[in-house]
Amino acid sequence: MVREEVAGSTQTLQWKCVESRVDSKRLYYGRFILSPLRKGQADTVGIALRRALLGEIEGTCITRAKFGSVPHEYSTIAGIEESVQEILLNLKEIVLRSNLYGVRDASICVKGPRYITAQDIILPPSVEIVDTAQPIANLTEPIDFCIELQIKRDRGYQTELRKNYQDGSYPIDAVSMPVRNVNYSIFSCGNGNEKHEILFLEIWTNGSLTPKEALYEASRNLIDLFLPFLHAEEEGTSFEENKNRFTPPLFTFQKRLTNLKKNKKGIPLNCIFIDQLELPSRTYNCLKRANIHTLLDLLSKTEEDLMRIESFRMEDRKQIWDTLEKYLPMDLLKNKLSF
Amino acid sequence: MLRNGNEGMSTIPGFSQIQFEGFCRFINQALAEELDKFPIIKDPDHEIAFQLFAKGYQLLEPSIKERDAVYESLTYSSELYVSARLIFGFDVQKQTISIGNIPIMNSLGTFIINGIYRIVINQILLSPGIYYRSELDHKGISIYTGTIISDWGGRSELAIDKKERIWARVSRKQKISILVLSSAMGSNLREILDNVSYPEIFLSFPNAKEKKRIESKEKAILEFYQQFACVGGDLVFSESLCEELQKKFFQQKCELGRIGRRNMNRRLNLDIPQNNTFLLPRDVLAATDHLIGMKFGTGILDDDDMNHLKNKRIRSVADLLQDQFGLALGRLQHAVQKTIRRVFIRQSKPTPQTLVTPTSTSILLITTYETFFGTYPLSQVFDQTNPLTQTVHGRKVSCLGPGGLTGRTASFRSRDIHPSHYGRICPIDTSEGINVGLTGSLAIHARIDHLWGSIESPFYEISAEKAKKKKARQVVYLSPNRDEYYMIAAGNSLSLNQGIQEEQVVPARYRQEFLTIAWEQIHVRSIFPFQYFSIGGSLIPFIEHNDANRALMSSNMQRQAVPLSRSEKCIVGTGLERQTALDSRVSVIAEREGKIVSTDSHKILLSSSGKTISIPLVNHRRSNKNTCMHQKPRVPRGKSIKKGQILAEGAATVGGELALGKNVLVAYMPWEGYNFEDAVLISERLVYEDIYTSFHIRKYEIQTDTTSQGSAEKITKEIPHLEEHLLRNLDRNGVVRLGSWVETGDILVGKLTPQIASESSYIAEAGLLRAIFGLEVSTSKETSLKLPIGGRGRVIDVKWIQRDPLDIMVRVYILQKREIKVGDKVAGRHGNKGIISKILPRQDMPYLQDGTPVDMVFNPLGVPSRMNVGQIFESSLGLAGDLLKKHYRIAPFDERYEQEASRKLVFSELYEASKETKNPWVFEPEYPGKSRIFDGRTGDPFEQPVLIGKSYILKLIHQVDEKIHGRSTGPYSLVTQQPVRGRAKQGGQRVGEMEVWALEGFGVAHILQEILTYKSDHLIARQEILNATIWGKRIPNHEDPPESFRVLVRELRSLALELNHFLVSEKNFQINREEV
Repeated sequence: MVREEVAGSTQTLQWKCVESRVDSKRLYYGRFILSPLRKGQADTVGIALRRALLGEIEGTCITRAKFGSVPHEYSTIAGIEESVQEILLNLKEIVLRSNLYGVRDASICVKGPRYITAQDIILPPSVEIVDTAQPIANLTEPIDFCIELQIKRDRGYQTELRKNYQDGSYPIDAVSMPVRNVNYSIFSCGNGNEKHEILFLEIWTNGSLTPKEALYEASRNLIDLFLPFLHAEEEGTSFEENKNRFTPPLFTFQKRLTNLKKNKKGIPLNCIFIDQLELPSRTYNCLKRANIHTLLDLLSKTEEDLMRIESFRMEDRKQIWDTLEKYLPMDLLKNKLSF
Repeated sequence: MLRNGNEGMSTIPGFSQIQFEGFCRFINQALAEELDKFPIIKDPDHEIAFQLFAKGYQLLEPSIKERDAVYESLTYSSELYVSARLIFGFDVQKQTISIGNIPIMNSLGTFIINGIYRIVINQILLSPGIYYRSELDHKGISIYTGTIISDWGGRSELAIDKKERIWARVSRKQKISILVLSSAMGSNLREILDNVSYPEIFLSFPNAKEKKRIESKEKAILEFYQQFACVGGDLVFSESLCEELQKKFFQQKCELGRIGRRNMNRRLNLDIPQNNTFLLPRDVLAATDHLIGMKFGTGILDDDDMNHLKNKRIRSVADLLQDQFGLALGRLQHAVQKTIRRVFIRQSKPTPQTLVTPTSTSILLITTYETFFGTYPLSQVFDQTNPLTQTVHGRKVSCLGPGGLTGRTASFRSRDIHPSHYGRICPIDTSEGINVGLTGSLAIHARIDHLWGSIESPFYEISAEKAKKKKARQVVYLSPNRDEYYMIAAGNSLSLNQGIQEEQVVPARYRQEFLTIAWEQIHVRSIFPFQYFSIGGSLIPFIEHNDANRALMSSNMQRQAVPLSRSEKCIVGTGLERQTALDSRVSVIAEREGKIVSTDSHKILLSSSGKTISIPLVNHRRSNKNTCMHQKPRVPRGKSIKKGQILAEGAATVGGELALGKNVLVAYMPWEGYNFEDAVLISERLVYEDIYTSFHIRKYEIQTDTTSQGSAEKITKEIPHLEEHLLRNLDRNGVVRLGSWVETGDILVGKLTPQIASESSYIAEAGLLRAIFGLEVSTSKETSLKLPIGGRGRVIDVKWIQRDPLDIMVRVYILQKREIKVGDKVAGRHGNKGIISKILPRQDMPYLQDGTPVDMVFNPLGVPSRMNVGQIFESSLGLAGDLLKKHYRIAPFDERYEQEASRKLVFSELYEASKETKNPWVFEPEYPGKSRIFDGRTGDPFEQPVLIGKSYILKLIHQVDEKIHGRSTGPYSLVTQQPVRGRAKQGGQRVGEMEVWALEGFGVAHILQEILTYKSDHLIARQEILNATIWGKRIPNHEDPPESFRVLVRELRSLALELNHFLVSEKNFQINREEV
């Protein structure tokens, strides 16, 4: 799937998972290759993927916990070794795997004395626990212990303001960052001018998704980010056409302007104010309103820019051009007027 | 408990022992000494006699628990019982009576006075005795003086002038002939001449007038008094005059005390018995002899070095408490005398107890002590920022305080390090700023000899014959005056080759000089590489690579580290972390062996030899510095434990070791200017993974009073004219609910103060309101306790304290969880400190070759000029340790084993780590310690290899939350009418001279005027501006000067300088005086 997406740009681009191992339940490792890439492409893809993997992947976390009858989160419960605060910190670290949207409820209901681990969490069907051995609390007395939890899928981290929830639930500053670390390296191979690059990508995740899945999701997120550009082109042209149809001379005007900008004699263009050009007052006012004060300002504007100025007409454009011709050395204006 | 057989071994003494020893001395000896001084009180007719016995006094176990004392704001004290005897006619009664309460030291070495932990720190004072000094006067003639210092710090001087006359200067004003002084002290001329070695000098100088003055004791006393008190005219000798002189002179200036007597005997070669603690004529004459000897070169010409520790003595808790006890006994004596008199009037039959316990006398002792602890400068609020602070605070020595120096006037020499400090007072650990050098810290091995008040340091005795006799090397404790006579091998000679001892020469100290001496001649050697550092200094790894100034900052900043929510041991340490943590007593340690019955978050049950002991744990309790104290159980149920094992860990300790900070990955490189000038760039990881998250508990309290009209203030929920929103957390009593989340401005305790409802006191519109709407204007003022700015958090405790029905105090404890944020201060252990300037997402941080993003980015320019290279060693070794899963404990001065030892160690460990983890970038031979790293935003490698490593970084207590402050209007100071200073008082930001220049430079005249007048001290303009803005009028432009200028003018007038301005009319030259 990923290959199809990526392979759109180059013909023989291929990816492969070189190495994949599970170091522990909460540490997955995967190494991938993408090749062949032309010179420089590996860097483009590599850094974009690294940043997407580190910053854009969603994760599932416990975001809120509600205890039965606890005055506040810094109190202690008789018969439990940990304070409420420590239990909340333990809950924060629990890694969940899910594909849910929105908020779900979960709960823990156990009777002591025993250790409570992540296994004891009663979860909604779409959510599962990655490491069932993660500790939550240690009950030392035969007491009933119940926590209601809220699970949410999110990205990045939230430090929620603790509002006064009357129901006695406490927010957990959840961290939804399933990717632990990403690294990429580039190798050049081939000979002479036939050089191409290989991109190595290493991904460590916390187990809630495999490196392969992470890579897939990151690529999807990246593509989603670029999608608007694919559509933007059409909308933009149609908008342009409504206004006026002055496309052909656009290019030449542009060219001449750039010629002017490459002013070899070194006339300080930013020192010539449009006041000096003896433009008709109407054109002058138009330009002034558009914040064009010097010749440089004027020349740095494209044809379209000028046309977009309010109440700027064709005559004005001609006027400007004539004056420019009059005042500027002719060698700069090699190309004759085409309109 | 104390000195449990440590003498023979070189173990480090308990760090809080200094305080315990002092207090034990007070309880065991000082009490008896003072009780001994208590006189037999007799009435004039000797019918009744009251007496206290020094033997067999008893202290009762405190009636309240330590915890309750803190919680209820009481004093943790125990009752003192003394046996007393009353003889009343023929009736002799003997009874054990209670004479009051004495504050008791707890296991931290502190006292609890009115619910606050307080500690008494040791004072270091000039020892009483005589000190000789020769100096050149402005004409180049040497002047010889001898200064006699009394036990109370009073000074009198003996001087010899160029005409060979000897003067005594007993007060600043007058000098008195030595003959007058000795005669006034009770010796006649004959005795004087018999007792001096140079009678001719004495004989040559009294003239006829002088002789007449000293012909009798009375005359001499009269003359002395005239000179001393600077009174002229004819005085007649009287008893009262004698008494006054006794009080003002002999008691203040002549009491030498035990130590003074010893010093005097030593210095002047006298053999006056020890119990003679007053200055005798013999002393004065011997002192004069010595002075003459100095002047004529026949005696030894030796200046006394007042800064030498042998001339200093420690006044510890014992001495201070003893003084107070004596004071209290004196008061008791007066009280008893008064009661005896009353007994005669009433003709009732007294018992010893009834003489002592009338209501006023029973609290005499405790009130004396409470005033002492509350007002005495050396009794300080116990600094409880972290465990290290607690341990270090009790080991401070201060030259300040009564009888000592003052920060502003102390000379450079008295602040300087002295060779005699070696092994006694730490040369680096002192405060910064005005008190630099005046407050020091005891070296870790130093101990105080409480009898003579000297600081002793241990050494190994290695003289050949001694070593032969005893196989074990003997530890000797040397006091500063004995120290001088020994040749002491310094710490850097420890690795000598044992083979050929004869050829060995070692650097050594002898009489304040550093010499190179043959090993054979060495008497003693130091026992420990960091013997001469304090705890703070010896917790710095690689301290030998740091500049002393930075080491000083480090030892101070480690004391400001905040305990973090999850602590972590340092990878690189010095090995002293364990003992520091243990001696701070923040962890719970098993006092006996046994088996754990159950563990809980608030108690541990331990069964030991058939008994079950409940050990309570501290749960989120506030410390004096608002940090959070919390203990977590660390033993599983059913486990057998040994004595001394850790049962529960306190804040900032892990596995019984001190853990003040976190090991984070640092890089030394500039990053877009965000670490310019000691700023620090950090990764978001430190925020969301709660790496630098700390808890802070604040206490807010309010008290109800009775108004002057006699009506009591009321705590209630019904507070008129306030938004319901602000009252949402109150329960029905009007006090905030436990566990509620409160924000700035919320009412914590609703309180109403009744106001008298007289017609005149109504505000202007009140009458109108009443007339139109029939509204009853409230007769009370709202004086609730509101949460101040930045105080948001969770209410974790609410406490009512009711002493009597009208006087209620409500305390609210609010816990805040603070993540690290921009503006917080962080520091390493090498004096490298900085402020967080930006928090970057982890993908933007520079990353290593294995993809790991860096956690903190320091500026490399912060290293060379500060000369704290230790941080580089630490970070590199930390990286190696992190990769190899190793912890290093490195004693300082490992360079004594070989050259460049630290560097070799670090590099070899890095190499090892590189090999082990197969990461070639960890150690690259071209730039060892550095690595090529990448920019997280672009993926480009940085131009230069960058130093990376794991450093132990602390978060300090200086946090933005407590500093952030702004003011629109607020209070003005009374005299100058300028805004007051300081955040606590809602003060303003000073616009000083340079700030005015800046505004002048910009040419913003109106802003400048506004700042200097309307917003500051122009009284009229300040009032009118309000009206002007409300009505949209023009802002008035006053031409008269602001208030502080008037103050200046008036101050000039008090110097008889008139500053005014005049208007001279152009037409008729009439002068108009304008009053400024």
